[in-house]
Amino acid sequence: MDFALSVCMIRNLPSALQLGEVVARIHFGNEFCERLVPTTRELEAAIEQTRDAGKAISLLTPMASDRTLRRLRGLFEILPDGAEVVANEWGALRLLAREFPLLAPVAGRRLCRMIKDPRLPSPDWTRLTPHGVYSGRFLDLLSTFGVRRIEVDVPPFASAADLRASSMKLSVHAPYGYVASGRICRIGSTGLGRGEKFVTAHACAKECLSYVSGMTRPEAAPGADLCTFHRGNTLFYRHSVEMAHALVDAIDAAAVDRLVIPRDWHEARRTG
Amino acid sequence: MKLVAPVSRHDEVEMLAAAGADELYCGVVPREWVDRFGTFGVNRRLFSNLKDLETLARVIDTAHELGRSVSLTLNAQHYAEEMTGALVDLAGRHAELGGDAVIVSDPVVVQEVARQVREVRVHVSSLASCHNTETARFCKELGARRIILPRHVTLAEIREMSSAVPEIELEVFGLNEGCVYEEGACHSIHLPVRLGGAICEGGYEVQHVREDGCDLTPGETEAFVVNERAYRDWVEHRFGCRLSLTELPFGPCGLCALPFLAGCGVVAVKVVGRGAPTPRKVKSTALVAAIRDEVGRRSDADVKRLARAVRKRSNLCDDGFMCYYPDGR
Repeated sequence: MDFALSVCMIRNLPSALQLGEVVARIHFGNEFCERLVPTTRELEAAIEQTRDAGKAISLLTPMASDRTLRRLRGLFEILPDGAEVVANEWGALRLLAREFPLLAPVAGRRLCRMIKDPRLPSPDWTRLTPHGVYSGRFLDLLSTFGVRRIEVDVPPFASAADLRASSMKLSVHAPYGYVASGRICRIGSTGLGRGEKFVTAHACAKECLSYVSGMTRPEAAPGADLCTFHRGNTLFYRHSVEMAHALVDAIDAAAVDRLVIPRDWHEARRTG
Repeated sequence: MKLVAPVSRHDEVEMLAAAGADELYCGVVPREWVDRFGTFGVNRRLFSNLKDLETLARVIDTAHELGRSVSLTLNAQHYAEEMTGALVDLAGRHAELGGDAVIVSDPVVVQEVARQVREVRVHVSSLASCHNTETARFCKELGARRIILPRHVTLAEIREMSSAVPEIELEVFGLNEGCVYEEGACHSIHLPVRLGGAICEGGYEVQHVREDGCDLTPGETEAFVVNERAYRDWVEHRFGCRLSLTELPFGPCGLCALPFLAGCGVVAVKVVGRGAPTPRKVKSTALVAAIRDEVGRRSDADVKRLARAVRKRSNLCDDGFMCYYPDGR
């Protein structure tokens, strides 16, 4: 099993690269927001720095409009052969398969859907909506696009069935999972006039790079919810001890091939 | 442009058809599904489904007598592997009853139904999150005939997809029930109210923290207070599940964009809300029909004015808080 660090901002890449040989790979970019897709210059710098540090690189990509896909196409063109691209929608996978067969597509966690509600009082609720992440037909469909690796979160009340070996290599994100994401950004609307707020694909000042938002439910019993926070347009939860144990069990069972750990887009980062 | 309306009881069919619906969509959870899988999760709604397959048959018969078509929803967030065959069987049962289309979220199910049940059209659900032409082509290659676009797409994006992939039909949201997040990227459950309801409905208190560890400045605090107030107002209008003083539906709306959408070649506009009371469904359908029927008869600007006028909430049209397509304001 190897470790990858996900880095959203190019300015945070040098410190991530200093963490030593235990980190084999950098996931660069963002899985959730079109506004955080790196520029060509930023990606070129990331490629150079990771190569010089002897690390591999994966480009993270979000759900994409056609406009964003055009930007991504330009980024795919400068990736070195064999570089991974973590795709979070089918259109990006199709584009990669058709035009960039020398890149290695990965099915991101937005494609590998599970119930991940941090408020659930018991696992009975997730059993009502079972997932098919490891179903043969789903993995077969992914493989037609050249996918050989999938990424998942550890869901609340995770069991061995949620983190298991299959025909694909498995990357698992830790210690956070995402609950929900969208194109409308609450904190990204802060600097906008009323008529411009909460509009699809609105502009923003990238407030998510400077602030994190803790989320608490006053009506929830103490300790009932997983620790929850918003970063930009996405709601996340922190793993419980039980979920961490489930992940360790999956690692011990050799089901997990890679751990992906966020470096700079989570609840706890403090630069001061 | 076809008008697609929700139905959850047989006696709604005639009323919705009379109000202007061309197509009806519904869900059903067969008893054998519950017995086999121990869940109601055939589609996105745990409730608001037709009572049984016999009711579905009656809905189809009545709709066909009135010249309307019927789509069956198979659009849960995801399914266990062993459910795929049962979903294909259910699509086949729908076809045997004379049903016209199925609305499917899972790409594997899209593919299997398109292969095995050729008698029904496959419409890709908004939960599949088709936001670009590449994904639209992917859906087409799976065998889909129509894509129901997600809520959060711009008019420019719709025009580009329609222009680039004319061989697949596009359906868009027209009225009622918005989402805060992207429906296909929301992995929560709409819990009973006592457990928190929908995760986005505002049960959270928010505490913004600076990443550099410094306290928020008074200016930042004020800006966040103003933004949070506006956000709660916006969320309330995403969930406008009430009737306004004018007795017209008071939720998200795309009426003024209908001329643009029709001009793009969008084939269908959808009224949301299988779980809504029958009067709300009927009024919503009639409202969309009234505007839709004027497209092509009046100038686009006149239709837009008419749409704004019937809502009687010009402030909400202006700020976009009740708007599906605010880039069309």
